[in-house]
Amino acid sequence: MQPLQKSYLALSDISKSFVGIPVLRNVNFDVRSGEVHALLGENGAGKSTLIKIMSGLFTPDSGIISVETKETRFTSTADAMRRGITTVYQELLLFPELSVAENILLGHSPRHAWGGIDWRGVHARARDLLDQLDSTDLDVSIKVRELSVAQRQRVEIAKALSYNARVLIMDEPTASLAQGDVRRLMSIVKNLRSRGVGIIYVSHRMPEIFALADRVTVLRDGQIIGTEPAHAVNEARLVTMMVGRPIETVFPKSEPIFGETTLEVHNLSSGSLVKDVSFSLRRGEILGVAGLVGSGRTELAHALFGLAPATAGTIDLKGTRVTIRTPSQARDLGIAYVPEDRGLQGLIKSMSVRENLSMAAFERNSKGIFIRFSYEKKRARNLIRRFNIKAKAGPNQPVGRLSGGNQQKVVLAKWLETNPEVLILDEPTRGIDVGAKAEIHRMIDELAKKGMSIILISSELPEVLGMSDRVLIMNNGRCTAIIDRENATPERIGAAMTVSQKAEAA
Amino acid sequence: MASFAHIRSLTRHETILAMVVVFALVALSAQSDRFFTVANLLNQGRLMTEVGLVAVAMTFVIASGGIDLSVGSIMGLTAILIGVFWHNFGISLPVAAALAVGVGTLGGFVNGLIIARCGVPPLIATLGTLALYRGLAEGISQARSVGGYPDWFYLLGQGQINGLPTQLLVLFIFAITATIILSCTVWGRTVYAVGSNEIAARFSGLSVERSKLAIYTASGFAAAIAGVIFVSRVSTTRSDMGTGLELDAITAVVLGGTSIFGGKGTIVGTILGLILIQSLKNGLSLAGVRGDGTIVVIGAVLIVTILLSNIFSRDGFPEH
Repeated sequence: MQPLQKSYLALSDISKSFVGIPVLRNVNFDVRSGEVHALLGENGAGKSTLIKIMSGLFTPDSGIISVETKETRFTSTADAMRRGITTVYQELLLFPELSVAENILLGHSPRHAWGGIDWRGVHARARDLLDQLDSTDLDVSIKVRELSVAQRQRVEIAKALSYNARVLIMDEPTASLAQGDVRRLMSIVKNLRSRGVGIIYVSHRMPEIFALADRVTVLRDGQIIGTEPAHAVNEARLVTMMVGRPIETVFPKSEPIFGETTLEVHNLSSGSLVKDVSFSLRRGEILGVAGLVGSGRTELAHALFGLAPATAGTIDLKGTRVTIRTPSQARDLGIAYVPEDRGLQGLIKSMSVRENLSMAAFERNSKGIFIRFSYEKKRARNLIRRFNIKAKAGPNQPVGRLSGGNQQKVVLAKWLETNPEVLILDEPTRGIDVGAKAEIHRMIDELAKKGMSIILISSELPEVLGMSDRVLIMNNGRCTAIIDRENATPERIGAAMTVSQKAEAA
Repeated sequence: MASFAHIRSLTRHETILAMVVVFALVALSAQSDRFFTVANLLNQGRLMTEVGLVAVAMTFVIASGGIDLSVGSIMGLTAILIGVFWHNFGISLPVAAALAVGVGTLGGFVNGLIIARCGVPPLIATLGTLALYRGLAEGISQARSVGGYPDWFYLLGQGQINGLPTQLLVLFIFAITATIILSCTVWGRTVYAVGSNEIAARFSGLSVERSKLAIYTASGFAAAIAGVIFVSRVSTTRSDMGTGLELDAITAVVLGGTSIFGGKGTIVGTILGLILIQSLKNGLSLAGVRGDGTIVVIGAVLIVTILLSNIFSRDGFPEH
């Protein structure tokens, strides 16, 4: 299309297999200086493998890598970095106990003539790199442990720049950022682009892709489906390319039928993180909970589920006053909680799908203290079918080997095994691909239709707006507003999420 | 039951270990004709019972992601208390023994409280009580030993039932019960869950705290029973009994394939590990190898077995 523009990094006909299973097949991909090239694909499409080949971690089985049109091979990540290709991984790889400056310049610090580290130089250089990222507010001498996720990310980017990066690979950089930080990151990306850095931007989030990308490449099942200029495609087209079939991009929200009130919370507090929160929830209702990271959303869920018991206030379940001090009490009262971090909190990754599925509802699969193994397996099979969990090796497959979306379905299924009346979902679609996301949304809608009361906590405003009957907004531990579906707009919710925080700070 | 899938997947280490045990037995028999005799083997069974009881309970502790270093001291404390209760306080011997076992179990319960309630890491908590309980034992005994127990008391440690050493039967019953609990019950599943991912176990509504309390209490109980058997076997009570026993028990458990990081392990493995260590100790000394040489061999066997098992189980699932 634009043959005059030269690619800085180009891959042609790259293939890679692991133990005989092809992960990438004849992939052609390139990035030019001064462009943002978005890379999309469902989980398991081969994105991470492609990234790892470009960053020198994996060697391709066949195909050619060229840097500035010269054919080359990367012997290691250090080798790729020397040629200007650096990667900012999703799980930020920093040393929490070292300072910002030490992290940025680890391994290539300025030195004195006698070989010692020139600390003044280290600080000045780190300062300079961060200033280039409009992060004049970040102190280079504090420990990384004290930084927020967004700040850590900027440190990672500064670290990449310290190697004179010509190509920066960003793997889902906004997956764990709050809205404000996302905007800031986007302006940093634009700034880098204008300075001639080529950026490979991997993300699931469409608005960012359309705001940033010059070109978009979609990868599916290890093959390139297409590379298009960003202005020539729309969201529906990209989703179809990713999934291979058209997918409902609208939320599957049915007309709600409300029943009696199941949960009533009055002036609930939990330490200093949740203060005076009151709300009620009916059968068949989905209550969305919005708020910035650290606003007390998750802590509210933890208080209701007995993980961090409430310190004040009351909880009534179906008209009966209850005290919830442990998760097992909450479960026995009919409350289920699908936590935000499925790898750490939701699942035991080394255990099988079957074992995880019965983890919250032992009594169902046991007789007295004895586990009924064959019954447990049969139930697991049923759940795998009902929830469309893709576990190739069946119920005994370790759950850690499933894709993110399937893992999330296991967590959801595991909690539905307890027959809850109130289901709390904390970031139920974080980091999972579009296909699985749509499936989970459909499940949530169906559960509400069957009369379950659902609390849906999410950082994705479209999800909250699309799925909820009412939206509760948390801000600094307090509930600042509860808005009905008809009146819920991004503006009103955004205002409630941020406004009083400034007032309190002032 | 055909669905013991997790057991089946874990048997690989046990299979390798069983082969190592057979190999060791054959090799040691070739070294000395006194080794592979019924009398000698039964006697070795007698000698390994105390470590065995502790190791069986230790399998639960380590599979739950913990460690219990205080078992040797609990054993010593129990031993001393039997003597003191009976000899100094004039309490009848069965009651004295029961009381002493009660105190030992309480010692385990205290470990559990410190670990589960106060959140002290098991290594540090039981390192503390290792010193504490041993100190108590020494303080109470004042370096005096108690002997001269009635004859019937020696049945446990020196007697036999149908030709089998009494304590070997105790170990057998203990091991069978433990196997059933660990592999077939909700409690066993909870132990593995806590050992694999404590946070997820808590988020799943499992009583992590209660299960830890139970595990360390059981470990204290096993050590206390081992203490009673020890006194009965050697006919006397001293305060330094059981010193260093915790390391023998941990070696057997780890040799048996229990992951020191928790979440994995079987009683069968532990028993095999125990048999291997005991036959090496005995067989090598019968073959004329000096004591220090034996320790070197046991250390080497531990490392080689774990390496072998790692090589053969390449499909081992990475935790992170």
